[in-house]
Amino acid sequence: MEMSMRYPHCGETVSAVAQTSKSAVSQVSKPACRAEADQVPIWKSAIRQVWKPALRTIAVFITIAAAQFARADSPSITAVLNNSETVLGQPVQLEIQITGAPDAEATEEILADGLEIHRTGSSQRIEMRNLKLTSSVIYDYTILPLRAGRFTIPPQTIRAGGKLLQTPQLTLNVADLPGRSSGGQPSRGAQSQPASASELVFAELIVPKKVAYVGEIVPVQIRMGFDARVHPRLVEPPEITGQGFTAQKLQQSGENLETINGRPYDVVTFKSAIAAARAGKFEIGPAKAKAQVVVPRTRSAPRSRARSPFDLFDLDDPFSDPFFSNPFSQLAERREVEVKSEPVALEVKPLPPNAPPSFSGAIGNFTMATDAKPKSVQVGDPITVTTTISGRGNFDRVNAPETENERGWHKYPPSSKFKQDDEVGISGTKTFETVLAPNERKQSLPTLAFSYFDPVKEQYVTLRSEPIAITVQGGPATANVATSQPGSSPPATAAKPNSPAPVTTKPQDILYQLTERPRAVESFEPVYTQRVFWAAQLIPLLALIGFAGWKIRRAKIDNREAWRIAALQHEAAELMHKLRRNDASPREYYAEASRAVRVKTALASGGREIDPNMVDAETAADAFKLNGDSRDRLRRLFEQSDEWQYSGAHNGPGRISRENRREVLELIENLRA
Amino acid sequence: MICVVAAPSALAQTDAQFAKANQEYAQGDFKESISSYESLIRGGPWNANLFYDLGNAYFRTGDFGRAILNYERALALEPHHPEATANLQIARDEAHALELQPSWPERYLRFATINQYSFTAAVAFWVGVSCLVLLIFARRRSAMAAVLLLAMFSILAVAIFSIWQLDRGVKGRALAIVTADNVQARIATADTANSVLALPPGSQVKILSTRGDWIYAALPSNLRGWIPAKSAEQVRL
Repeated sequence: MEMSMRYPHCGETVSAVAQTSKSAVSQVSKPACRAEADQVPIWKSAIRQVWKPALRTIAVFITIAAAQFARADSPSITAVLNNSETVLGQPVQLEIQITGAPDAEATEEILADGLEIHRTGSSQRIEMRNLKLTSSVIYDYTILPLRAGRFTIPPQTIRAGGKLLQTPQLTLNVADLPGRSSGGQPSRGAQSQPASASELVFAELIVPKKVAYVGEIVPVQIRMGFDARVHPRLVEPPEITGQGFTAQKLQQSGENLETINGRPYDVVTFKSAIAAARAGKFEIGPAKAKAQVVVPRTRSAPRSRARSPFDLFDLDDPFSDPFFSNPFSQLAERREVEVKSEPVALEVKPLPPNAPPSFSGAIGNFTMATDAKPKSVQVGDPITVTTTISGRGNFDRVNAPETENERGWHKYPPSSKFKQDDEVGISGTKTFETVLAPNERKQSLPTLAFSYFDPVKEQYVTLRSEPIAITVQGGPATANVATSQPGSSPPATAAKPNSPAPVTTKPQDILYQLTERPRAVESFEPVYTQRVFWAAQLIPLLALIGFAGWKIRRAKIDNREAWRIAALQHEAAELMHKLRRNDASPREYYAEASRAVRVKTALASGGREIDPNMVDAETAADAFKLNGDSRDRLRRLFEQSDEWQYSGAHNGPGRISRENRREVLELIENLRA
Repeated sequence: MICVVAAPSALAQTDAQFAKANQEYAQGDFKESISSYESLIRGGPWNANLFYDLGNAYFRTGDFGRAILNYERALALEPHHPEATANLQIARDEAHALELQPSWPERYLRFATINQYSFTAAVAFWVGVSCLVLLIFARRRSAMAAVLLLAMFSILAVAIFSIWQLDRGVKGRALAIVTADNVQARIATADTANSVLALPPGSQVKILSTRGDWIYAALPSNLRGWIPAKSAEQVRL
């Protein structure tokens, strides 16, 4: 862990600065008055402080949960320098971020010639993107250059999630620095502290480069320090003034406690990046901000108090006032102070001429990787070419790589997305997806070229993709391989990919003309949309309706016959019941007996539907196929019935003998079809 | 009476015109033959051979887009027209025309035509309904009739699905063929809009909707875009 040790009064830095490590805060030895400072921190409310342990606990749970989620993804690793250029004695921070492998462990020390690299801390970051939690472990290293020159930090292999991950190779340029004068240091603008309320605060603007190119992104830092006891509150956020450059939005990147000249300071670091719009010499800054601080009420009386134990160097520290030891003894006042740094000079050079055709204004240091999917297509089918440009520079000017030979290809506008690896977007990865469709058979994708200006080498660099083999089927073969060479004249047959003219092979001839004209009339309309189709459906419909009607009628008829038979059966049963009784007169008895015979005959006739009233003795005898004796007896029964019916009531005896009754019953009961 | 007398006369006239168009083609007067074939098509009646011959005439003039269009029309009328199938492939190779990819159900259902599925559906329906009527009116329920009923309604459902799938598929009624040169499908209805796909003549597109002079179409490679309405013609007249 490195700690900033800057003396505001003398404006000189005596040791290295590493302000990004969060763990630095906890390891600083705190003075006795630190308790007061903790109660009201600079940027955070008291409530946040009270809940800090709880939040920390929640964060641990979230970390565990995130780790579970993150396990599903394959781990990845990035390594970023906070500055690729420095001066001798000025340390640089290296951040290695491992995503998706919380159990990954980085080395404590990295061996690199001319550099001393030690791990200074680690932290865990949880991000939620598209409702997906991702856990990252960040290892912070401090790099201390031992001598001037261009140094390479070798790739580091780290085992993470069962895989071996490797960091990219990084380059650090260290400028020579004779002595420790401010001229050789990264340009800093700082304000000396007068012996007033404003001396309790300081600001400095750090610009790591003194010379830059037009459009080059230069990272800048603003460090604002507040005496830990003034309970500061920022009224206006810092801004970098000046002309001739554009500045990105400031991002607060860290807050730590530093002991400067024996005083505790809360130092807040803001990061941004500037890009010069034109060549020339500029003044960057000053960086300005306004803050409110609590200071003891000014007294007119000469100082008579004893020296504060904090005022180790007898600097007339206003905190020597008894107010700070007993706040209720006197009133304090909140005063607004302007925090302002010194401006920093920057020389901006124009880009050299003769930029390559594929140069789009990118300045920095980049690498390029290309892939394509699918690799086997038909002519005209799209192939998605994914180009990844990683590195450090002005990514807003990084455009999609140029296709060096588009002949035989149809190219669609590319899409892009950028993933930044730092707060200000200087380091990151920009991914382009370009759709290419072959208009003819091809064996490889066209070469993609991306050019940028390397400010360290001070020259243009062009990156070209490796040839990617593909298979294109269908369509004509590429007319001439030589056409892929830039500048060569294309063959006429391949000039227009979609041209109907034959290309290289003799076209197949079509088949003969058909002279027979069929009589059948054909239609494009499907048959189910034609009226005749639906008219034809009437035939089975009518047939079905006819069948159903016939079946219904049959059912009705069957039903009526059944009713008739049931009625006859009922009548026959009743008549037989009456005949078995002895109370009927002969006239009634014979009438009922003859009726019973008629009903039984009608029932025995089956489907012929004989009316019972129309049945006579002969019909009944025939229906039951009676023999001679039975036939005679039946005939006699009908005669007697007629006699009793038509010849008056008093012919013959008044009652029927038992013998006659039995004989009649026996005759009727034996009538079976 | 007039119809009976006039019909054979009209038929003889179209036969003569068809023979004339064939003769013009044989003599190499392809543009004349195109004019004659198109006149026949305008007058009707249509048949696959007529469109096939017109496609050949267009092929000879180098208009592969319209050649492919007419081969497709011949195949729409008669899906198993071997000459049209062969010449269509040749024309497509020449024009580098792009084809729409059918969905997998459509690929399997193409073994029969929409008309064949329509007839199958009709027969299955009536047999099924007859079985149902028999089941209703018969004194004894027949298991055979019940099984047949189930089978017929299953066949009916498959046939209706097939008709729906083929009718809205890539060979369905929305199929159109690009007939113009240098057609670019665009993401919006403007000549300056970004291009989605370059469509060589003869390429298949499926019309999804129309807006003014533009057609929104499904394109080969599962893309969609706007093309000028004049640059494509629907296969089914």
